[in-house]
Amino acid sequence: MAEDSEWVVESIAGYLGSPEWLIPLTDFIENKCSVFDDEEENKLSYTEIHQQYKQLVEKLLENYMQEVGISEQQFLDACSSPFAKSKTLQALFQPVLATNDFQLFRSLMVQKNVELQLQALRVIKERNGALPECLTDGTDVMSELEQQEMQILQEVLKRSKEEYEEEIARREHVAPKVGSTSASLGEEPVRNGTGPQAAAHTPAQPINSLGKKEDKVISERSSDSASPKASDNCSTETRTLPAVRVPVKGPAPPPMSREKTANQAAESWLEEARKEAGISKPFRELTVAQQEELQQRAEYLRQQRDKLQALKKEQKGKSVAVEETPSPTPTPAPATQEISVEEKKKLQKRKHLAEKLKEEVIKK
Amino acid sequence: MGEIQKGLFSVIEKLKGTTEQELRIVLLGLDNAGKTTLLKKLASEDVNMITPTQGFNIKSVTFHGMKLNVWDIGGQRKIRPFWKKYLENTDLLIYVIDSADKKRFEETGLELSELIDEENLKGVPLLIFANKQDLTTASTASEITEGLNLHTYRDREWQIQACSAISGEGVQDGMNWISNNIVKKKK
Ligand SMILES: Nc1nc2c(ncn2[C@@H]2O[C@H](COP(=O)(O)OP(=O)(O)OP(=O)(O)O)[C@@H](O)[C@H]2O)c(=O)[nH]1
Ligand SMILES: [Mg+2]
Repeated sequence: MAEDSEWVVESIAGYLGSPEWLIPLTDFIENKCSVFDDEEENKLSYTEIHQQYKQLVEKLLENYMQEVGISEQQFLDACSSPFAKSKTLQALFQPVLATNDFQLFRSLMVQKNVELQLQALRVIKERNGALPECLTDGTDVMSELEQQEMQILQEVLKRSKEEYEEEIARREHVAPKVGSTSASLGEEPVRNGTGPQAAAHTPAQPINSLGKKEDKVISERSSDSASPKASDNCSTETRTLPAVRVPVKGPAPPPMSREKTANQAAESWLEEARKEAGISKPFRELTVAQQEELQQRAEYLRQQRDKLQALKKEQKGKSVAVEETPSPTPTPAPATQEISVEEKKKLQKRKHLAEKLKEEVIKK
Repeated sequence: MGEIQKGLFSVIEKLKGTTEQELRIVLLGLDNAGKTTLLKKLASEDVNMITPTQGFNIKSVTFHGMKLNVWDIGGQRKIRPFWKKYLENTDLLIYVIDSADKKRFEETGLELSELIDEENLKGVPLLIFANKQDLTTASTASEITEGLNLHTYRDREWQIQACSAISGEGVQDGMNWISNNIVKKKK
């Protein structure tokens, strides 16, 4: 039975990393997340959306099990095998668990909402050189924004670590037969946030927070600002959201689908799983190797950080280009300079944070 | 939900790795009864800044080694039609009454008797908190038992407990009833 459930787990893990699963799921989350703020109290509408989410997951899993020919019993056996209990596999299962766990579901939605809001604001800021007045509300939105950004960066770094481990695991596992690893990856990544769903997202659904306290606002305020009451300027800007979506790695979907086939993904997850289940522990046996691993990881994180910064610069470059086209409101030089100083500060902060995170990650 | 998925989700639930036993508890009652106050008290939070609930609140509290997931849903008239969406898989219903609001005893009794008839609450144990006992005008638990004809409820275990959500008096006794009567049965 052990082997039998092994392939079942393998198949399930592969499915949970495949576009067939990730695309509809991500679409759903991105479409519905805009009403989810981080007030303590839940809106009645959350329940409706959670219900729809359950139905979606149910339908997807049903189809998948039918297609692959996994019976309920096999599925149950597989899920109760020690193999499936590893942390890595559990991470893959998060979106499935969210069907039964409202709190988890809610945090998923809030996270995505914040992330999309932030992206929208960033685009606006980068295109205009600053946030239009209608978005600033005369308060310190930017510093709050920065905090949000830090969170995302944190997510990116966490993701990097996971990807790195995956990578290692995959190399471990596949090494002998490699050849051309990326042969099958040709196709565009799973999600590019194209078209209607993205456009539909923010402006369409006004947020009614039902008149509560005004302090801990960030998501509320930013969603407000993206709502229809904002000026023409704002709504045009929001529509450009899809274009920038690519660079920012969202926390929601498991990472591997982006650049690996489902099979490879499954393999790497499984390799991890095997290790965690204590079936074989190639790394832990050698302390020298361990040290090497740490070094590699550090290097990898450094690379990730650099990539991120490069991306930032690139985006900035683009935004400068945009600004060169004559705009109705003449942007005076000081403004741009101010921002580049600010940017610099941000970069420094980011670097600092990256270092800190790096340390933390490596310690583990 | 299809049968397969029921099994599927129950196994997936185990994947969470929690060996802890969980109870789903729903807190209902008219607006202003003190549900949110009680919820916060259970979670040892500040009970001073509570505003009427427009949606719902959830808190998980650990009690005698059990995880209690308590759902507090707004009691305003316009929200009551939504109550039934929250009743599935409920292990215990807690119904809160403002013992000093005699004018609305009939209304609250009516709502309760409708709840009791809900399919999803068939046989589900019922704990009634006769709240706001700190007010001098509060009716006693037995007066409320009379008024609401509670002894006609024979299809389930039930208990009425006098309490003050604000001071916390009596709350613990109610919780003990839960642990003695529900938890043991579930195990
Ligand atoms: N004196 C007294 N007041 C209480 C007690 N419990 C709650 N209150 C008050 O009653 C009012 C309503 O309390 P809530 O907890 O908001 O009532 P609720 O049942 O959640 O009301 P909705 O959210 O509208 O359904 C608040 O002003 C509380 O401070 C109590 O035990 N004694
Ligand atoms: Mg309330």
